[in-house]
This record gives sequence, structure tokens and C-alpha cells, in this order.
Amino acid sequence: MRRILRSIGVSFARLFGTKIVDVESGRTLGKAFAISWRGKVHLIGLETAVRPTFLPQERLTYWKQEIGFTTHQPPDFPNERSTRPGNVEQQESN
Amino acid sequence: MENVLNVVLSHQSPREVDRLVAYWKSVIGDNRLLVAYGGPRKSFGEIEFKSKVFVDDSGLRTRDHQREGQSYTGVFREVSNLIRRRPGPVDFVALFEYDHLPLVQDLNARQVERMHSDQADVIAHHLARVDGTSHPHYLYYAANTEFARFLEKVSVRINPEIVLSMFGTGSCWKREAFDAVSGFNEPFAIYFEIFLPTLAHHLGFRLRDYAAAQDTFVSNLGDRSAEVSSARDRGAWSLHPVKRLPEQLSSVRTA
Repeated sequence: MRRILRSIGVSFARLFGTKIVDVESGRTLGKAFAISWRGKVHLIGLETAVRPTFLPQERLTYWKQEIGFTTHQPPDFPNERSTRPGNVEQQESN
Repeated sequence: MENVLNVVLSHQSPREVDRLVAYWKSVIGDNRLLVAYGGPRKSFGEIEFKSKVFVDDSGLRTRDHQREGQSYTGVFREVSNLIRRRPGPVDFVALFEYDHLPLVQDLNARQVERMHSDQADVIAHHLARVDGTSHPHYLYYAANTEFARFLEKVSVRINPEIVLSMFGTGSCWKREAFDAVSGFNEPFAIYFEIFLPTLAHHLGFRLRDYAAAQDTFVSNLGDRSAEVSSARDRGAWSLHPVKRLPEQLSSVRTA
């Protein structure tokens, strides 16, 4: 029963929640409810893995700051096997 | 000629495994196929296909895979050990779950070509960086300080905090990367979709995604059995999840 209610709630959030936009690319990341509760912001229903970030402000204000969301770039890290430190040996099965 | 070993993970009945093998053989050929079996040991003996290995690892046999931290470590270890004993070169290892079907005969050539062009040691579906994000698997393991300690210990990277996620099925590994990862155990139960790519990254290997054009044919939920033909027409190399091996397709392929 709890699982059914949760599914209904999440579906509701994905349908009627606020549109979350990537603050760097402008891409729509999905819809979710953003609810503040006990000093934390709870994101409900968002399917994309997002990173929160404070947004730069063109006007200096002391009373308001904005938090937006973005995502990581696709992994594109180089092979670093050749720079592998000598003291890191392959760990045998522990 | 690329020397790719296709490892098909299955826990199905012997009859279903042999039927799946027939399909694979008709598409890929049988000398590049290995069944890694995670079902009952009694059933393992009843599988007719000879190129098979039994995976005796309770970490593989989970019910709630994500919360119990399903592990492919036993699979990696058994396959890696078997490759050393097996005649003939193996330069790449491609992993497929039983419900992931190849749709093109030159699947392995395409995988290897993509790896060459991307200079990748591993390619995988839905590869993503997830540290510092709302990704549920990342957040779950971020709560365990042992996870960060493990990465700090094994990493050759400047930033030991990077965490990657990927689908295990469809991933293709250079032999060196596969063997290196097979030498490690999880410090505690960690879901393989996080553990495998994150460990490979921190051991210094380069991981790349297949890109959206192929990722779209590999999803985590549902049953795409009805899409086999249309997916191939739309350029799919493979399709997941396919819960019912199409009768017609199987008989045509194996005829």
C-alpha cells in the first residue's frame, strides 16, 4: 500500500512539479517538487541526477540567493595507467 | 580480427540457457561465447553448452539488487581465471545479461572500433559521473565513510572522490582492465553499477559511454521483446531487456 501511494505521489510530482532546467546548458532535466523542510530542500520525483549550485547574481542582494541545478559532463577522463604511482599495487582479493 | 569473448550471465533453466546460446551462436558464433551461470549448481551441469563457468558467489544472488549491493566480482574473477586457462587470445571481454540480445553479427567489431576511436579501456551503456549529485546509488554509498576510504586507498587519480555509474550489461572491457578489476573485492556490499566503473576509473582506466544512439536501446526496466525487429531497423546493435526470446527470430537464426 505504501509503495502504491509513493508511486502515485511521485507520478503527481513528475506531472505537476516545477520544471527543473540545467542552469548551464538550459536543458530541461525533468519536473519535481522542491520542498523546504527543516533547513533542507527535498527534491521529490526528479529522475535526472543533478548537482545543486548557487547561481551567480548580476545585482548584489543581501536578502536572496538562488540555488539552481546542473549535471556533470559525460565522463571523458584520460587513461592514467602510465602515471600510476609505484606504491599502489593491485590489491589481492581480501 | 578482434578477439572478444562474450560473457552471457544467466540464472535461467538449462533449457532456456541452451536456447539463448543457440541464438547467440547464430549471431556471433560459438567460439567467442561463454556462459557465466548464477543459477543452481545442479542446473549448471544440465546445460549442454560446454563453454560455461559456474559462479559460486552469494553476492550475485541478490533479490533487491540495489539495496543488497549485487556484485559481479565473482563473475569477473571466474571469467578472468578461465581466460588464463583457455586456449586462444582474448583481448576484450564483453558482458551481457541473459536478457540483452545482440542484434548485429558484427557487434564485437563495432564495439572494438568504438573503443579504438574513443581510446577507451571500457565502454558501457549509460555511463555517467554521479558524485555530488542526487543519484540515489551515489547518495546511499556516500553515507558510508568506508566507501570514500576505499577509493582513497586504490585511486591513482588526482581526485579520489569521483564516482561513476553505468549499466553492467553491454559493457566491453579491454583485457587488462577486466583482469585488474577482477583482482578486487568490494570493501562492503556495493552495487556493481557503481563499483565496477568507479573502481576501473580509479585504477587509471579510461571509460566512455556508447552515446545516446545506442543507449536508447538499453534500458533498465520493462520488457522490449516486441521491439527486436524494429530496434534492428532503427540501427540498434543490441537490445535490453528482452525477456522472451522471439520464437521466430530464434528459429530463423539457428536454421
